[in-house]
Amino acid sequence: MEGVISAVFEVLNFGAIMVLVVLGLGVIAGMMGIFNFAHGEFVLLGAYTVYLFHTWTLPIWLGMLAAPVVVAAIALVLERLVIRRFYAVPVIAMLGTYAVGLAIRESVRGLIGGLYRAVPEPLIGSIDIGAVHIARWRLAIVVITVLVMVGCYLLLTRTGLGLTVRAALENPSLARASGLSTTRIYAGTFAFGAGLAGLAGALVVPVFSLSADLGIRFLIQGFLAVMLGGVGSFEGSVAGAALIGVMSAALPWGVAPVLADVLVFLIAVVLVRLWPRGLTAGRTV
Amino acid sequence: MRDDNEPRHDPSMPNRRRFLQSAAWTWGAVAAGAGSWVLRPTWASAQGPIKVGIATDLTGAIGYAGNANANIAKLVVKEINGKGGVLGRPLELHIEDTASNESVAVANVRKLIQRDKVDVVFGGITSSMRNAIKDVIVTRGRTLYIYPQLYEGKECTPFIYCTGPTPAQQCDEFIPWLMKNGGKRFALPSANYVWPHVLNQYARKVIEGNGGEVIFEEYYPLDQVEYSATVNKIMTNKVDVVFNTVIPPGVGPFFKQLYEAGFTKRGGRLSCVYYDENTLNINAPHEIEGLASCLDYFRAVTKDEPGSARIQADYDKQFPGPIVFAAGSAATGMYRGLKLWEAAVKEARSVGREAVAKALDHAKISEGPGGPAEMVPGKRHCKMRMYTAVAKQGAYDIVARSKGLVDPKEC
Repeated sequence: MEGVISAVFEVLNFGAIMVLVVLGLGVIAGMMGIFNFAHGEFVLLGAYTVYLFHTWTLPIWLGMLAAPVVVAAIALVLERLVIRRFYAVPVIAMLGTYAVGLAIRESVRGLIGGLYRAVPEPLIGSIDIGAVHIARWRLAIVVITVLVMVGCYLLLTRTGLGLTVRAALENPSLARASGLSTTRIYAGTFAFGAGLAGLAGALVVPVFSLSADLGIRFLIQGFLAVMLGGVGSFEGSVAGAALIGVMSAALPWGVAPVLADVLVFLIAVVLVRLWPRGLTAGRTV
Repeated sequence: MRDDNEPRHDPSMPNRRRFLQSAAWTWGAVAAGAGSWVLRPTWASAQGPIKVGIATDLTGAIGYAGNANANIAKLVVKEINGKGGVLGRPLELHIEDTASNESVAVANVRKLIQRDKVDVVFGGITSSMRNAIKDVIVTRGRTLYIYPQLYEGKECTPFIYCTGPTPAQQCDEFIPWLMKNGGKRFALPSANYVWPHVLNQYARKVIEGNGGEVIFEEYYPLDQVEYSATVNKIMTNKVDVVFNTVIPPGVGPFFKQLYEAGFTKRGGRLSCVYYDENTLNINAPHEIEGLASCLDYFRAVTKDEPGSARIQADYDKQFPGPIVFAAGSAATGMYRGLKLWEAAVKEARSVGREAVAKALDHAKISEGPGGPAEMVPGKRHCKMRMYTAVAKQGAYDIVARSKGLVDPKEC
């Protein structure tokens, strides 16, 4: 019984981590039609911000609060300077964001000397229920993921701001004709998506340790999740990410880990074939 | 270049000369195309310099290791040149970046062989890198190749000399120690590539030969970062010793999950034979307290090994900063390789491949990182001292050392 509880929790935890990482990617891909290949590096920048706070002996949680703001600000600058030039040609946008990502990744690698750096959790220790040990910080990640997810959903569906964002992205010319500044909304959405990536990086860095390749690890699975959920929907990305995360963590309990890795992709491809428009097609924001 | 006809009466001369020499050393690093550097000696001889090629991963995922290799090569070459070079000729260092990428590496190593015509090549860190570049160097390039990293063994190509530890050197004394200080039930969680597969074959033999038991041996994709299923298997099967060959990025989260599950708290012993001073930083110290490793050198060895202490002090003085001198990144094997090769060239009185190989076959050095070392005749592998160390609050404590030089048992 204890085994089952801790297994369920671990699987849930990795599902939450995937959702957290994919959320920003989903927002940018879904709302703007841009596959942001620098997403992994925004995650990395969030993690690096926390590491900097740690080296300055400032509280870790302060770094975690600062990370999304810092990353969003960097992304805003990048959007104004580089990304906005690519909106008309999504394929070039992919390559452009890849180049941006590469530059960020290699810069961070230089800054940390190419090594791995441990970052402590803000919440240490575990909650013990009988023989089950649940690490406090992993539990916190699950709770924060749920809160951020709900917050994003409400922001997009229940607020005037969300409405203008959706309008501008659905039909830019009509939005402009109605007096909305689509330039500003695009920049804002990109920064928001990047900020979410920064938050994800900040929260997961105590679990995975800081290294230059922290973000890229999640990139392919992240895109798979967005495809699976259906490009263009918020719930789709979340559902896709949860499914990919849960499968990645759960399958190794049953089959050989090397096989599990391939199986995740195989199952995802089959699902994409069965529901080409995504798991939540037709029922979304 | 030094001019021996300089006027001697000018009191400012020695300073200026020293300044010029060090400037020549610093600025002698001439970039010769992308990823190439040449470090020219500060003096010359009639026959010209001996060209030493270094092919290592200065950039990319294992750049930290490659830079340590390049640093130690600069240190050794500077030292040799300072003592009059080899056979009266100075050494000229040609460094090529293999960029943690085999296809880039092959092209760059070709430059060393064809353009620079080096007399010997040192380098390569991963086995896949060695396999990618060895043909360019040894078969088509007809050049001597010295490989410095700890590895899975079985490299028996003529003219390739290995100066890092082999599975026998890392297991023969270490595994019995783990049994005494951990238990008999082993788990072998591993990354899915050649080194763990071949090392585990050997480790399993030693474990079973000493009356231990392998509870499971399992391989994971190289980028897997979630290990709950593995941790559960370790905990429920009452494993005593985790003999880990999972590599970064997975190893950090894996050790963390093991710690959170209470593996070390209930007396489990963590072990990993590539863990050195660099990898110690992947986890918080309390998460890997008690982790045991077995290598040819740890910084802690300098306390009672004066030769190692001198090398470490020289390195720290010349290369302060984040790139440290550590055994897991092949830097110790690089030092040993360079010095063994120097000894061989001196004995052969030539830099010709056959003559040097013949002398290198039985070359010896009395001082190196971790102590003396010698090649095993006919085996092209190196006998060296081995140390077992345990992580204590973010540093290593030496808990056991080999009685003499340990045999690599290869080829």
